[in-house]
Amino acid sequence: MITQKDKILACVEKPTRYTGGELNEAVKNAEDVFVRFGFCFPDTYEIAMSHLGLKILYYALNRRSDTWCERVFAPWVDMQEQMRRHNMRLWALESGDEITHFDMLGFTLQYELSYSNVVRMLMDAQIPVRARERGEEYPIICGGGPCAYNAEPVADIFDFFMLGEGEDVINEVVDEYVKWKKSGKTNKKDYLEAIARIEGVYVPSFYSVEYNEDNTIRSIAPNNPNAKPKIKKRIMRDFDKAYTPDNIIVPFGEVVHDRVMLEIMRGCLRGCRFCQAGYIYRPLRERGSDTLLDLADKLLSCSGYDEISLSSLSSSDYSQLKELTEGLLEMTEEKKIGLSLPSLRIDNFSMDLMRRVQAVRKSGITFAPEAGTQRLRDIINKNITEENVLDSTAMLFRGGWTNVKLYFMIGLPGETDDDVLGIADLAQKVLDVYFSVPKEERAKNINITVSTSSFVPKPFTAFQWAPQNSRESLIYKQNILKNAIRSRRIRYNWHYSETSYLEGVFARGDRRLCDVIIKAVEKGCRFDSWADHFKFDKWMEAFEECGIDPDFYNLRERSYDEVLPWDHIDVGVTKSFLMRENERAKAGITTPNCREKCAGCGAAGFNAGVCHE
Amino acid sequence: MSNYILKYSRGERVKYVSHLDFVRLFHRTVRRTDLRFVFSQGFNPHPVMTVALPLSVGVTADGEYMKVGFDGDYTESEIKDKINAALPRGYEIKAVKRVEGKEIDLTKIDRAAYVVEAEADGVFDAEKFMANTELIVPKKTKSGVKDADIRPYIYDLSAKPSDGVTVFKMTVAAGSAYNLKPDTVMDAVNKYADGVTVGFFKAHRAALLCGDRDFL
Repeated sequence: MITQKDKILACVEKPTRYTGGELNEAVKNAEDVFVRFGFCFPDTYEIAMSHLGLKILYYALNRRSDTWCERVFAPWVDMQEQMRRHNMRLWALESGDEITHFDMLGFTLQYELSYSNVVRMLMDAQIPVRARERGEEYPIICGGGPCAYNAEPVADIFDFFMLGEGEDVINEVVDEYVKWKKSGKTNKKDYLEAIARIEGVYVPSFYSVEYNEDNTIRSIAPNNPNAKPKIKKRIMRDFDKAYTPDNIIVPFGEVVHDRVMLEIMRGCLRGCRFCQAGYIYRPLRERGSDTLLDLADKLLSCSGYDEISLSSLSSSDYSQLKELTEGLLEMTEEKKIGLSLPSLRIDNFSMDLMRRVQAVRKSGITFAPEAGTQRLRDIINKNITEENVLDSTAMLFRGGWTNVKLYFMIGLPGETDDDVLGIADLAQKVLDVYFSVPKEERAKNINITVSTSSFVPKPFTAFQWAPQNSRESLIYKQNILKNAIRSRRIRYNWHYSETSYLEGVFARGDRRLCDVIIKAVEKGCRFDSWADHFKFDKWMEAFEECGIDPDFYNLRERSYDEVLPWDHIDVGVTKSFLMRENERAKAGITTPNCREKCAGCGAAGFNAGVCHE
Repeated sequence: MSNYILKYSRGERVKYVSHLDFVRLFHRTVRRTDLRFVFSQGFNPHPVMTVALPLSVGVTADGEYMKVGFDGDYTESEIKDKINAALPRGYEIKAVKRVEGKEIDLTKIDRAAYVVEAEADGVFDAEKFMANTELIVPKKTKSGVKDADIRPYIYDLSAKPSDGVTVFKMTVAAGSAYNLKPDTVMDAVNKYADGVTVGFFKAHRAALLCGDRDFL
């Protein structure tokens, strides 16, 4: 029999993005479950299937016999066109059923530039975009992930957000949903009031935002007795014992991270002042090496993957790294499995390790000094010196590596032209190190890549008050850097300033931006993080038509007494600590990491991890 | 080490898996069993496995073949059962034959039987169509698309209407010497069969043959 899907799938690239049916997917009988949940990732299959959070929550929900959690991803532009032509609604991968009348849809908000895809996916499912326009016949729409900490720009779309780590809270909100559905599911507000009492749940419609005449916020206050004045994020206190799936879906086509990912710890103790992840995932918690080795064995056997990677923000800070890597090497050498070790500092130990891991292939090594001069690295509290970089690269070149990538940011607070030019200097010094290694000790064809991204100030960082550099200023800095790099052995990559600009607007945006996002999608914006599909002019039109000046959100320095759109959210790290860090940044004073000396950030209140070692 | 010939099918739900993705999928499948592959020598050791004839994306199949080297003395049923238990739904190993030498030579495959289900207007007369002395249509070759006479490579063709579609059954040249895809045959139908227009169609490869004989 020829079906409509046959015809559509014959006209799109990578059809296995849309068919489901992969090994280890969760298949249930729709009649046997009470809750149909769609886990929505607002980007392509290949990106979505590389995301660890999805894998955890997918299996966490499917452990429930009353719930079937399925995956829903953004159809690529060719498929969107086919769906429009055939009037098909967005469907879930496992069942192939339309999601239009599912019970719940949960979006993970990983980056601001995916907001347009959230709206587009709802439109593709023919679900009203704004929460207030959705009756009880439509799914409850919830969100989580790092952008949920300031989800104000999409607050009108979502019924609620889950702040922090979702392993427990997602089950609690589904439990309440089951109760509500059993009671007849008459008034959505009843459900939202019930979950507003759960720690970590934020129901945006239960908060009223008042504005000053200068467009800053006057107040954010609950308008419902069930809503807490401050919503505190959730964490898994005992990370070693926290639920983690011993199963993994194996995609047919290649995805970005096509391997077993072993989450060795959560959080980071470094305190880089620009880094949102470094603050919002505090405190640092580790999983024991025995737990991880057992997990690695299970995940490799159930998937058949021939590659495994450690996942964390800074693997070198993992206290049982030696035990873990030795155990993993034993496992992987025997089974001819590749082991990749991202975010490792280069020292004698890691060099030894890399030699064993990469017996044959020598892949590239990446350093992230983030800034070109020591002065600026002190401002951002990036604990890496020029000496570190040069010593490490000398070691690498002697070890036969010739592919070095250097990552920097431009547009950091306090940055001068000298700091930008310092990037070129540092790259040149790395090249000099290569030539100082005797010819017989180094491999041929040195290749240095310098990449700069444009700094975007984020909520819950020491720089949350800082102005973002204008597009002109970023382009100027990219140009002086381009001209300062003279060697043809050094390649320079940079980011488009338009995408950083838009990301900056939404990162620290408020509720008034919601109309802009919806308007932009109506004008055809989606896949904004894909350069080929980013339509900056359409976005600017949307701002204009909504009467909103985007510069207000990212080009202005905020004062400490301004009410920030995320002031009613509590991530554990206090505002006064962030102010202190911002002042220390201005004075160029670094702050020691959590293991050296507690800086009193506030995360100790969670009573977990590194704070209580 | 021993070599085994595996006969397998691929169903609707996995018909969009590309050839390269299938090779990777099969590697992973074997890793999930306790069977041990023979690995190639060299910089990047990979399992020794040859697929007889890659299957196009979107085509289902009943009798595909591959040759695999295993490092161990496994029985045929052991291999069949273990791989079937580990394969994603939609694939199935139908038969396994252990070979010592070239008693089954997959390079000898020279034809394939297809069933094509097509949305077609008009009544197709297979006999009249096959009476053409030549059927010249554009055909993809290594050096681009060229007009070619495909009539000599269609060995057998019949068609009958069924439930609003036309079902074509054909045996055509396949393999390394000459490979004719059902898509090209459908192009010829459109060009040469008066009053017949073929729209969307889907193909099923029913068998890979050596002469008129199937291996397993």
